[in-house]
This record gives sequence, structure tokens and C-alpha cells, in this order.
Amino acid sequence: MFTYSLAGLQLKEAETGPVEVEENETTARSGLYQVLARFFNPPDEDHYDRARDGLWAKEMAHAATLLPFAFEVGEAPLPEEVDPAGWVAEHDRVFEAGGAVLQESRKATDADAMVTEVRREYDYFGLGLDGAALPPDHLSTECDFMQYLAFKEAATTSDRLRTSFRRAQRDFLDHHLVGWVPTLVAEADAKEPIGPLSWALGRLDEFVRADHAYLSTLLAG
Amino acid sequence: MVGAAIGPVAEVAVAVEPGATDAVSPDSAATEISYRARWSWDRVTWGTHCLNCLAACSYRVFGRDGKVAFEEQAGTIDPVAAGVPDVNPLGCQKGSAWSAQLSSEDRITHPLRRVGDRGSGSWEEISWDEALTEVADAVIDAIDEDGPETVVFEESVEGGLLAQAPFLRFAALLGAVTLDANGLVNDLPVGQHITFGKFSCASTVDDTFLSEALFLWHSNPGYTSIPYHHFITEARYRGAQVVVIAPDYNASAVNSDLFVPIRPGTDAALALSMCQVVLEEGLADLDFAMTQTDLGLLVRTDTGRYLRERDLRSGGAEDQFYLWDAGHGLREAPRATLDLEGLEPEPRGRFEVTLADGSVAEVTTVLALLEARLSDYRPELAGPVCGVSPSTIHRLAELAASRRSKILEGFNTPKYYHGDLMERAMCLLLGLTGNWGRPGTGIQGLALAGLDGYLLFSMKTRKGVEETARIMDGIDQAMAAAKRMDPDATDEMLGNQLLTMATSSGTSAPPVFFNYRHGGWRASWNRSEWSDPAMSKSFDDYLSEAVRRGWWGGIARPGSDQPPRVLFCVGTNPLRRARGGRGPLLSGLWPKLDKVVVVDFRMSTTALHADLVLPVAMQYERVNVQYPITHTLRLTFSDAATPPPGEARTEWWLFSALAKRISERATERDVVEYSDGRRQDRRLDLLGSQFDLDGTFASEEDVLDEWIRDSADAGTLPAGSSVDTLRREGSVRFTGLGMFSPGLSVAADVEANQVMTAFSWHVERSLPFPTLTRRAQFYIDHPWFIEADEHLPRHKEPPAMGGAGAFLLTSGHSRWTVHSVGMGNHRLLETHRGQPIVIISVPDAEGLGVADGDTVRVRNDHGAFVAMARITPRVRPGQLIVYNGFEPHMYPGWAGTNEVEPGMVKWLHLVGRYGHLRYLPFGWQPVPADRAVFVDVERAESAS
Repeated sequence: MFTYSLAGLQLKEAETGPVEVEENETTARSGLYQVLARFFNPPDEDHYDRARDGLWAKEMAHAATLLPFAFEVGEAPLPEEVDPAGWVAEHDRVFEAGGAVLQESRKATDADAMVTEVRREYDYFGLGLDGAALPPDHLSTECDFMQYLAFKEAATTSDRLRTSFRRAQRDFLDHHLVGWVPTLVAEADAKEPIGPLSWALGRLDEFVRADHAYLSTLLAG
Repeated sequence: MVGAAIGPVAEVAVAVEPGATDAVSPDSAATEISYRARWSWDRVTWGTHCLNCLAACSYRVFGRDGKVAFEEQAGTIDPVAAGVPDVNPLGCQKGSAWSAQLSSEDRITHPLRRVGDRGSGSWEEISWDEALTEVADAVIDAIDEDGPETVVFEESVEGGLLAQAPFLRFAALLGAVTLDANGLVNDLPVGQHITFGKFSCASTVDDTFLSEALFLWHSNPGYTSIPYHHFITEARYRGAQVVVIAPDYNASAVNSDLFVPIRPGTDAALALSMCQVVLEEGLADLDFAMTQTDLGLLVRTDTGRYLRERDLRSGGAEDQFYLWDAGHGLREAPRATLDLEGLEPEPRGRFEVTLADGSVAEVTTVLALLEARLSDYRPELAGPVCGVSPSTIHRLAELAASRRSKILEGFNTPKYYHGDLMERAMCLLLGLTGNWGRPGTGIQGLALAGLDGYLLFSMKTRKGVEETARIMDGIDQAMAAAKRMDPDATDEMLGNQLLTMATSSGTSAPPVFFNYRHGGWRASWNRSEWSDPAMSKSFDDYLSEAVRRGWWGGIARPGSDQPPRVLFCVGTNPLRRARGGRGPLLSGLWPKLDKVVVVDFRMSTTALHADLVLPVAMQYERVNVQYPITHTLRLTFSDAATPPPGEARTEWWLFSALAKRISERATERDVVEYSDGRRQDRRLDLLGSQFDLDGTFASEEDVLDEWIRDSADAGTLPAGSSVDTLRREGSVRFTGLGMFSPGLSVAADVEANQVMTAFSWHVERSLPFPTLTRRAQFYIDHPWFIEADEHLPRHKEPPAMGGAGAFLLTSGHSRWTVHSVGMGNHRLLETHRGQPIVIISVPDAEGLGVADGDTVRVRNDHGAFVAMARITPRVRPGQLIVYNGFEPHMYPGWAGTNEVEPGMVKWLHLVGRYGHLRYLPFGWQPVPADRAVFVDVERAESAS
């Protein structure tokens, strides 16, 4: 059985639908976003341990088992000399001062409007960010949202809602992730990040594109 | 975006060399700099004006230092179909002058409370806290003592959806009564409804370009549809013939190929005469007419009623009709389709059928009866009636029959007492010539369609997509259940059924009963000399019979025993608009009211007579969208470019705050539970939380976003649409007309790259019409219609409304304002005389001894008003025109044009529960007439 696990977003009201469903190709997509959302959270000790032990790749590989499209997970070991502090420092080097930024609005012409827009998007689907550590337009939050939408698509018994959730994912990718992830990845790659970071960015880029193509085909059909 | 239309102000410097004779003087340089500074800006937002011209013109609103500096037509809309002009630039001088009104002298910026008598003009500024408490207590008193039906709202068609939605929601939660907007303003094409069961032959405006003959009939788009007028010019450039049929040589006639001056009120005679020519000369498209219309159906000659199944068989259906097939005789007319399915109905003839009781009855076709009637309208007979020569009638008939023809009709026709007959005759002409449902054809109507989210919103108890799906699934199930009951019904018919059911538990009520019972119209409506001579009894008797028979059961509210206590006018202005003038309102209705609450941005004539005036934001000061109609098929957005002045607020804020205040006061006063007139239990203490769903919809932007997202989810807006995408793009084209009956009634597909032609489903897919006979229906066999000799279209002279005056007063919308909204705008006032004018022909003026600019008194048996005379050769002798929109307070003594309009209601429109002649909101109902009122005119100085 599969269940969603929100890393930053919160349900505004108690869940009225199922909270777990049989694993299938849709929960696989949800699972992928779940892994990505957690990976791009600011690293802590657990994050480092997972990188050191190769668990990120394993979790992603497990999640990808039932994906409805080809997606190579691969792996990239953490160099032995990197300790927890070095892992955090590497993250900061790539994504913070002078590096790529994990917030979509940093590249927007009207940052406030962009943040308002994603907030409203979450709100329509019953999610909020009260007290959340990450901003609404953070990559992790946006992946979190995609995770939730894919789960809802898998969980609903209504054909109408299934289409609604599917369309919402396609549109969110259209309006957000497909637009800015390639830029983010290119800018991060320019900083030559170490193995797991480089690996995760590549997986993010490829998955977002593949998922968008998959959803577009599905909706067109 | 930051910039300047001409250039940065600082760079504008003019060198002045000493001694240079052609140098620019320092003064002129300063003027130039100052002028250029006017056109600089630091912010750009989208704007539109949400006016009841119903144009949806996208503007760029340029702001400077937090205020609106100016606006420009945006002109950013992509072409739709190859080879068809786009709609750009959209806009007119009214929209382009909107910003000038933001600071006009009639703006209301603080809540005001009357301190003198009503209408005395004495006010005090009060706080919102005081205002809300006073209104809340009045509402609670009314509900507690006499029920929520005594709280009455006038529905509005001015101000956009976010001006309207809040008070409709508030009224619905209270269980109050809202007076149907179309019954108030009378933009109801009754004749179209009688014919088609709807008036939504509302193609996109670019369909006009595809016409080969355009009949501008009862419309003056040169004044009233300025943004769309170019399609007429472009169609003409492409080869279309443009014909203007009007009593006066109006602005649109200037650019026509043929101007047909017609005697006012005789349009049915002209149209029927054209029909006679079409039939007599063999020009009719009879295949089209026999499939699309009821002309092939059989009528009993003994009763004048359609032959029905119940005539032939005991227990037979009331709504199964018959044709006479050339090969097989009597056959059922198909109900599930317009396609005749191989039948070849005899268009004419008399036949015998055996009835259920064994007797024999003679039947004939509607067409045969029609042709007999049309013999009275041969051009040589009709010509003298309508003032059009027989040769011109022939020419017009041949034109309509030989070309793809469209009638561009405004909402002028329905305002004639017998406007329904005019429209039925116009529709007949189109039906005989194959002119609907095909590109470039039809008769202009109106359809509010596309924004499904708006309609879903009132049913939502939670935010979000899952709630939307729950409601839509429920509607699907209800439609499926209705379909099981009537398997032949189209989705449009099923939608109407659901709407009828919803209406029976909703707030909307046709105002005719309210005005009759609680306003002061009853005496006028019973003046037989002002009414249709065909009436065999009094208006009282007809109305009583209609009510007694249950034709208006459950919706004729509030009842006679429930006088209204509180009246809300949100953006409405009955003292200007209501036919009948001040008398029926100030003497009839006002004394019954504990509280008259006007919510407006300007001091209208009604506001001047209110108890409380509550200020709201104008467009550019708040978020809004124009009413979604099919003209451009676009949802057009207006942003908050600047904050509203003073204490002005949005309607959403106001009614949300009022709902909360009522909850507080009701709890304090222990007046919490009550039942409405439908025995539904309600609670005032929950009103506040119900209104905004416990703060879920805290602002109007939250509401709008929900409408847009839900509409996208329902498939009528592009996927991914939101208030944010609209804020970026300004407007968006609808992708569908929706799951509700207003959209379905257009009966057309929305394609991304095609002009939309209304009624194409009827022609291309043979989908039946939502009428009694399921065909476009020209024969109405209701006993009252037979009594009136209006079972078939005919001409009737306008009744002597107002008395036996020598002049006929007509009207129309002005070029300068949309109704009275722009009457406080100095920039617009400077484009005309700035005061009410009566337009008089040159010979009449000479006869009256009136010169241009003189003051004249216009009077009849109902009332009088005084205004300036404008003398012009473009008006025919015997006709006077006063354009719509002047505020009564602009006239001496605040007596406006409506003082001479009795506001007569055609008794026949009290018919109900006859097939499609039954009430639906914004649809079938009796409406007041104001055109073709008889008056006398004289110089004011010589008037007694």
C-alpha cells in the first residue's frame, strides 16, 4: 500500500478520502515526487546519512518500479571525504550564495505575485503552509504538491476528479516546474556539484520532463 | 512596467535661442512638458468597466503615484478564424473616459445617513460600524416580524459579477426576495422566447462579418455597440448589403446601403409583408421551414388548437403533435429530433382525422393558417400601415430570401407593448428564408454563458476541486434522472427543468407581481384606454386568473400580505429606470419601507431618496470581471489599479461585514431562528460564517479565483486558468459554454479557431428547440393567445399609452453613457449638451414655435417633464426622442422622462405553464413597455 507524506504542505481540513491505496503507476509517480521533495529539503544529519548510504537512490528506485514510462534512476555515491558539515556546505555552495536558487520566485519578474499564485494553487486543492519551514515556491514544496496531486489522482474513485487531478498536475508542471527546473539544473550544474547532488538534479530534470510528457499524452487521449 | 507614452519627462527640453523668431516660447515648452507628464506612468494593470452595454473591452490602465493616470484600449486579442477580422481594439469613448469619473463630484466616499425627509438632500456621514448596525437591525426586525420575504433586493445588471454575486449570496442565505433583473430592465426579447423558447441566438460578434445581408432593425449600433460596429463595415466591404429599418435617420443609417424609414411601432406589419412576398413569390426555403419550425404541424379548425395525441386516443399525450405525410397521411411529428425522418409533410391543405370519441375533425397546417393571415399583409396593404412602399417591401423580402441574412436587433423591440409581435414576425421571416443556425444568420440575442464556476459557487460548502466534483456529479445525476423521465429531451431541456426546480427554492421573483401588489402600478395597468383593445376584461382579472391557475405558483413573491420592509438597491437606480416615474415608487412603494438602502459609487436619483447610502469601489479600484456573454466569448478582467477613495469598500466586503453584523446583533437580541416562506429553517447567528465559509473566501479575489478555477475544471476556460493567469493576460477566451442551461441554449460548439454561430446544433444536428412543440413555434394555441388573435404573428398598433397625445415618444440608448452611469463624468458630459434633450423634427418645431435650445414641456395623462429641445431633420414628424440615461435629478423638479411612461404590462405575458411559456430567471415574464408613449409637447414658457 502507498500513502503520501507531506514534507511541508499541510492539509487545511481533515482528509475525507482514502489515506492509502494499492501501489500502481500513479502512486509510483507520487512516490517519485515524494523522494524529490525530501531530497531538496535543506540537508540535516539524516539527509547526510541517506546520501552516504545510497538510500536516496534506493528509495527512488523503489518508487520508480511501477512508473508508466521509462525512467533510469541510476546512482551516485557520496565521496568518502564528505562529512555531514561538508554535505551541508556543498548544498549551500550550489544552492545558496551566488549559486542556483531553489525558489522559483527568485527568477520571476514579480516575485510576490508568483508566490501568491502558488499559494492559491495549493489552497484550491486544500493545502496550506501555516508555519512551514520552506516557502511556497521552494522546489521541495512544489514537489510536495505534485506528490499530493498524484496521490489524489490514484485515490479517487471519481472519473471526473481523476481527470481534474491529472490536469492539475499537467498545468502545475506547465506553469512552474517545467519552466524553471531546467534553468535551476543548468545553473547548479555549472557549480559542478558532487555526486548525489548532481545525480538528484539530473533525475529531477528528467523526471519532470517525462512526467509532463506522460500526463499530456494521457490527457490528450 | 515603467515608462512614458511619449518619453521620459525629464528629457523633454526645448532650447530657446535669443532672437530666434520661430523658437518655442518658454511658456509653450512648459506646456509641452506638462502635457507629456500627463502621459507618464509607473504601473500598468488591466481594466474593463463592467457596464450594461455588456461589451467586454480590455483596457490597459496606467497608474502614476498610486492613482490612475489614464487608460487605453488594449487591442491585444488574437484573431480567431482565418479570414475573419479580429475584435480589436474593443472600447469606446465611455470606457476611455472611465478614469475621469473616479474623482467625479457625484462619488460617494463615506456611508451616509439621511437626516431630513427622504429626498431632502440632508445627510450625515456615519461610520461603517453605525451603518452596518442600522441595516442589520432593520433586516432582523423585518425577518422577525414579517419574514425574510419582506427584505427585497433589486437584481442588477450593472457593475460586473463581483458587484452582483455578493448580494445575491446574501439574499439567498437570508431567504429574501430578489427581483428578476430582466423583469426590471426589460431587456427580454419576448417574441424570440415565444418562438424559440429562449432568446439566446447569440453568435459571436464576428459572425456578423459572415453575413450577406444585415438588417439593423430596432438597433443603432453606431451608438450602442461601438466596439463591434466595425464588423458591419467590414461585412459591407466584403459585399454585404446593410439595411437600416428605423423611424429616424440614426447614426447607423449613415453607413447603410438602404435606409427604410418606418412608422414607429409598425415593424410587425413590415416583417409580415416581407414574409407574404417570400411565400407568394416562391422564395421560401420550405425544407428548412418544415423541419425547423411548426409550420407543418396540424391544427384543428374547429378549436384552433394543435391536434394532439390526446385528441386521438384516450390518455394520449398532451405534447405529441402531428403532420400530414404526403404518402401516409397522419403521422406523429418527431419529438426527439427536428429531422423529419423520411416524412414528407404536406405544407398546405385540409384533412380529416377521427378523434378519440369517433367524431371527425378537420385539420389544416400552421402554414396554411399563416398564409391566410398574411393575405392581410400584401405589400399594397401593409405599405400604408408601416409607411414603406410596396416596391421596397418586395426588395427587402427578396434580399432576405436570397442572402445569408442576419437581423441585428437591440433590446429596443421588447420595450414596445407589442414588441413580441414584432419579434415573432422577424423570426418568421428568418424561418421562412433559412436564416438561423448558419454562419452569418440569425437574430441577435443574449446569453450569459461560460463561467460555470460562478454558477457552481452558490452550491459550494467548501473550497476546492473535490467539492466542485461533488456538485457536478450531483448535477449529472439529476440530469440523468430527468432524462429517464423524458428520454427524448435534450440537455438544454433537462437543464431548463433543473433550473425550474432550483427557481422554486431560490430568491428570484418576477417583479411584475411585486410592482402590482406593493408598488403603485395597479391603477395604470387597469386603465383600459392605455391597454390592448383586445382585452375582454380588466388587467386585475387577468392577473387574478393567472395567479389562481397557479401559473406563477411559488414565485410571485412577496405575497399581498407581506408588504416589503427593507429594499436594497445595489448599483440599481429604480427612480431613473422604472417606467412610471416617481409616483409608483415614492407614493406607492416607499411609504411601506422601513429602510431604503442604496449601495453605489455615485449619488444617483435613487440614492438621493434613500435612508442609507453605502459607498462602494468603482472599476479600477477593485477586482472584477465583466458578465460573461458570447459576443466576444471572452472573460475580461479588471484589476485594482488604485484603492477606492475614502471609506468606499467592495460589495463582497460590505455584505460579508453585514452578514457578520447581523449574526452578532441577532445573537444579542436573541432573534436567531426563523423559517422562510418555504418553511425552510434558517439561522441568523450562522449567517456571517455561511457567507464566507468561515473566512475561506475572505476577499473578492478569493471568490473570483474559485470561479475561474472551477470553470477551468468544468472545461469552459482553458486548463490552468486562475485569477493569476487572468491578471497576466487581461482576458481569456472561453473553451465551452457550460453545463448549465444558459450556455446550452446557445446550441453551438465553441471551437478554438472558429466563429461561433448560435443555433447550429438545431440546424446541423437537428436538435429540437425547447418549446412546447419542440420546433421554432409560430403558432401559440394557448386560449389567451387565441382570444387576443395573437396565436399567429400579426401587427397591432401601439395602444394609446399615456393618452391621446399628438406625438409618439420613443427612446434608445445614447451614445454618451451606458444608462446613467456616465452622467457624472465631466469628460463625457462635455461631448454633448450636458443636460436632457428632447429631439424634435424641424417641421414639428416650426409648428410648435420651438427653437433649438428652447425649453419644452412634454406631458400626457400620466405625467410631464421639462427639458431642452434639440431640433433636427433626422427625426420624422410626429416622433420625439429622449435618449435613455439622463438622471431625473438633471431635470427641473427631478421629474425625468419616465414621468410620462405608464410602464404598461402586456396582459398576455401573464400566461404561464404552457410549454415553454413558464418562468425561468432572466426569462419569460411580463415586462413593462416604455416605447411609443403618446405625448404632447409645448414650449415651457407658454405651458400652463
